[in-house]
Amino acid sequence: MAKVLEGPGMRLLSKWGMAVPNYVVITEAAQIDNLSEANPWLRECKLVVKAHEALGGRMKLGLVKVGLDLDGARAAAKEMIGKAVAEVTISQVIISEMVEHDEEYYLAVTSTRDGAEILLTSMGGIEVEANWEKVKKLAVPLGADPDMQALTDLAKDAGFDEALLPRVASFANKLFKCYDQEDGSYLEINPLVRRSSNGELTALDAVTMVDGDARFRHPDWNFNFASEFGRPYSDNEKVIMDIDSKVKGSVKFIEIPGGDTALLPAGGGASVYYSDAVLAMGGTLANYAEYSGDPPDWAVEALTEKVCALKGIKRIIVGGAIANFTNVKKTFSGIIKGFRKAKADGKLEDVSIWVRRGGPFEKEGLAAMKVLEGEGFDIHVYDRYTPLTDIVDYAIVGGGK
Amino acid sequence: MSIITNKETRVVIQGGPAGVSAAKRMAEFCHLSQIPFNVFVFPPSAGKTNEIAFGSTLVSVPIFKSVAAATEVFPEINTSLIYIAPNRAFAGTMEALDAPNIKLVSMITEGVPEKDAKQLRIEAEKRNKVFNGPSSIGVISAGESRLGVIGGSYDNLMLCKLHRQGFGVITKSGGLSNEIMWICSQFADGITTAIGIGGDTYPGSDFVTYLEKFEDDLQTKVVVMVGEMGGDLEEKAATWFGEKKRRIQLIAVVSGYCQEQLPKGMKFGHAGAKEGLHGEGSARNKAEALKAAGAIVPDTFGGLGPAIKAAYEEILASGALEGKEELAPRHLPRTIEETIKDGDVFAEPLIKSSICDDRGEEPLYNGYPASELIDKGYQIPHVIGLLWDKRLVTPVEAEIIKRIVILSADHGPCVSGALVTIIGACAGISMAQAVAAGMIMIGPRFGGAVTGAGKWFSYGVKNKMSVDDFLTHMKKNVGPVPGIGHRVKSLRNPDKRVKSLIAYVKSTGIPTPHLDFALAIEEKTTAKKDTLILNVDGTMAAILVDLRFPVDALNGFFILSRTIGMIGHWIDQKREGSRLIRLFKYLANYTSHKKRAVPPLDS
Repeated sequence: MAKVLEGPGMRLLSKWGMAVPNYVVITEAAQIDNLSEANPWLRECKLVVKAHEALGGRMKLGLVKVGLDLDGARAAAKEMIGKAVAEVTISQVIISEMVEHDEEYYLAVTSTRDGAEILLTSMGGIEVEANWEKVKKLAVPLGADPDMQALTDLAKDAGFDEALLPRVASFANKLFKCYDQEDGSYLEINPLVRRSSNGELTALDAVTMVDGDARFRHPDWNFNFASEFGRPYSDNEKVIMDIDSKVKGSVKFIEIPGGDTALLPAGGGASVYYSDAVLAMGGTLANYAEYSGDPPDWAVEALTEKVCALKGIKRIIVGGAIANFTNVKKTFSGIIKGFRKAKADGKLEDVSIWVRRGGPFEKEGLAAMKVLEGEGFDIHVYDRYTPLTDIVDYAIVGGGK
Repeated sequence: MSIITNKETRVVIQGGPAGVSAAKRMAEFCHLSQIPFNVFVFPPSAGKTNEIAFGSTLVSVPIFKSVAAATEVFPEINTSLIYIAPNRAFAGTMEALDAPNIKLVSMITEGVPEKDAKQLRIEAEKRNKVFNGPSSIGVISAGESRLGVIGGSYDNLMLCKLHRQGFGVITKSGGLSNEIMWICSQFADGITTAIGIGGDTYPGSDFVTYLEKFEDDLQTKVVVMVGEMGGDLEEKAATWFGEKKRRIQLIAVVSGYCQEQLPKGMKFGHAGAKEGLHGEGSARNKAEALKAAGAIVPDTFGGLGPAIKAAYEEILASGALEGKEELAPRHLPRTIEETIKDGDVFAEPLIKSSICDDRGEEPLYNGYPASELIDKGYQIPHVIGLLWDKRLVTPVEAEIIKRIVILSADHGPCVSGALVTIIGACAGISMAQAVAAGMIMIGPRFGGAVTGAGKWFSYGVKNKMSVDDFLTHMKKNVGPVPGIGHRVKSLRNPDKRVKSLIAYVKSTGIPTPHLDFALAIEEKTTAKKDTLILNVDGTMAAILVDLRFPVDALNGFFILSRTIGMIGHWIDQKREGSRLIRLFKYLANYTSHKKRAVPPLDS
């Protein structure tokens, strides 16, 4: 599942015949002047200016301004672009027309194991969460198209006026097509509105999630995926994502500022058990990280450097289950290089390191890690005979060797 | 006993190098369990075979261009493993599903689009087949069959007692299936079958698929299930387990409690490890559903060992395992390298190298790492010194060697070596062949006199001979003095290269007994005949002996230097587009018999 920002998301909806508000994305306030010559709506309509970043709570942060004229929009764009919010610098804004409307609806398509589900309610906007039981659902089996009659019945069920049914059904059908043809994971339009001027159904705001793994068959996906957790990716995260996209196997890294325990575990499954264990023992996570699929040692080294650079950490958990084919000696050599480099840079003062691992070349890998004991590291190395997450108990509560 | 894969399993592996490494791992398992190895692969190079080590022998695994071609030759193939890149994995899997005898397809490929995975599950169900994965590490049935690299290294297979049977295991995570097998072997009796279903959002087969099969496998008494947040597969497993009284016991753990304290929407673990949009699929919900259904659910992963131990002791107490045969595992034959390293055997070396050692990260020239020599500014003469005479030459010696190489590098197109190289190049032969042909010309009359000259100059100096005694000795016992005499150069038309080299060597002040001896000889010989000068071979020889290079190495200086010229001539001909040449007839002096009648053959 990969998130697409508002601008490219709107373009996907528009590609499949759904009406969206007029919009432009700009990276400099001055661009608005040339654009307004080419786009009369910028001069004629009331405008909305929003920071075009994967930031949660933009309204509260003052990054959404509504009801502006062209000058107001230019001023708002000027104020937002370059502004640093929560360690992130706003680099672009989206300016769209304010669509005058009467009612707000909710329409979504979500992926299910057997196909997809279309969700619809005439009570959209901010009320939808509170009225979740009123959302009506229609299951569409994989490979099938939704039946127009079934969509009309769904709309009726969802509380739409008789006169609107064909248009709502047709709009839902278009959203389904978009979902199906664009390898969607989750498409949500909230609110879906009716323009006061001409009654046309318009997608005012949308959440667009597509299947990132399907990128190879969508040459027109010329956008980057955005983060899904309420803030854009940090520079450190982007460095690791970039490495991840280039290597065999994978390396993952997400920062969680303020935590006391850093994670450097192997394996998607084990990493979550390690995260659980840290919290269960009363620690706080400084990051999420994971490497798997026998990545090259230099990629693991880069990941290690980022982990060592996390601020305020007291301990690093280098955990892992018994690998199937990841070479423990080779991946550990990357971690060891990273540790040595961090120490030479004056990092890792008062940080304890806890290691547990098994798999191909485990003896050699663990022995190499043990060498760090003699180099002034506060490191504790365990093998397969210590249960998976016991090192977390030792690290946080004590009781290890 | 086991589920979905057993001793009857015959596998076709779809995919290239990764598939071949899987085949190697599978052969190791067959060796451990003392069962035949029977795998067929079809990476791109159809018609060839892959040699896979099986115990101390090699098994040839045939390669086909399609699943249909493989199953036609081997109709007993009933399982396919998919090791194909995500963009072609769908088509490859369909090919396997369409083969009538293939009942199980397991896919290791990661990053397969969800839509494709969902479609494949439906296609498999339509055909009443099992599609396992994507992103599955594989399936292993203890003592019977291994599909893929699940189980890891051979040492681990032995430690996990995978040659014999015990518990059933299903996990989403590949790394954790190995961990559970290890726990089962420590705290219980090992496993029956372990399946990695893969951590994708929509795995082809879910926990219930395999729980049902385990329920029917009487050997499996307990199933360990490792789940994680996201989706509803654990909830479905709970529903299935709680529906009615089940024969098997279920021990389950679920991960993802951390999600409660992490930023909403943060991605971690596997692709499928994501919370529902309205809070469904949380670790807590799953654990509670499983508990309510009667499963044993330890709070943490660490609680699994004791839970498994307790379950095992209960089975032991019931007497269900009495009379079970104990089978000893087999060791993997060690390679010659390993046995030597462990000090178990002595192998007498066949060859010896005292100049260069390439067993480490990079070659060591007489002990010095090549990169360090480069970094510290050493030059080609130093490398010559290290590899030819096992010493680091002094700066003066290095300069002399450099000058020798420069002055011998080439002597135009007409000399034997260059001419032959050029003829070769014009005949269209390769650089290595043409230069080697030129090299063959080096001998007593062309460039090959250096060693001979060095040998006799040192003989004279060593025996403190006077020039006259030396010349008499040579005339009586050897013949012309090597290194003396030139075809065109003479006292009045001296070889500038020789003069300049001698002048430089003299200017350095190093002791030059051999050069002095050679020059004294020249003085005598030129008095007899103008062209009997100390030629370039002789000069080089005398100087190199003065530099203490062994006599046997001396021709090397000419061979090395002249190679530069010969390569140049070959490239030159190529660049200039030279055509095949032959000698003009007027350049041959035909002196053979005039044309005459052939006499009848005597019978």
